[in-house]
Amino acid sequence: MAEDILTRLQPIFHDVLDDNKLVITRESSALNVDGWDSLAHINLVTAIEQDFRIRFALGELGELKNVGEMIDLMQQKLAAK
Amino acid sequence: MNAFRWAELHEQQSEHFDIELTDEHLDAFRVMSGDANPLHEDASFAHGAGHRDRVAFGMLTSSFYSRLVGVHLPGRFAVLHGIDIDFTAPAFVGDRLRVSGEIVFLSEATRRLELRARIHNQDDKLLSKAKIRVGLHEQ
Repeated sequence: MAEDILTRLQPIFHDVLDDNKLVITRESSALNVDGWDSLAHINLVTAIEQDFRIRFALGELGELKNVGEMIDLMQQKLAAK
Repeated sequence: MNAFRWAELHEQQSEHFDIELTDEHLDAFRVMSGDANPLHEDASFAHGAGHRDRVAFGMLTSSFYSRLVGVHLPGRFAVLHGIDIDFTAPAFVGDRLRVSGEIVFLSEATRRLELRARIHNQDDKLLSKAKIRVGLHEQ
């Protein structure tokens, strides 16, 4: 399931960061992906919420270190649906 | 001016306002934008293109989406993040426009809302539609 989520995240990142060659991995984060600034972060989060039909709570994303940890959180939310 | 805070917003919440398009609106927008296309200035040219009068700039009527966000929904604490607009029919001087917006998505984690916005004329004809992404600051 985690791999499915990662695959589904690729076009979202491509669209938001306007880079079709970008390859997101579990280790990707704002520290190592060009263009992942604060407004892009908002765009990514809301696009993910709308695409996966899940909602993140205020502060819930602040502790996440990378895409892998976000996927883990997403798995919990999707399993709870 | 409205001044909705995050806790006061909910999905399906809506606001609207009415405004009449004037010659002064078109003239001011032409000067400000530098868009001197005759479709917006020369009625005979507009007739030749199949319109009954000079056509209002799409980006002029779209500027009312800025007013919708900054003054009405959410108002004072808004920060415009992005907007996608489609034009569906022309607007003309003398048209009475109704600009409306409804919250269709609230993201608690990012404090961003998405509006489904529309502009209709006095005949209830849809002139444009937009998806507007808006943040809220905490000042």
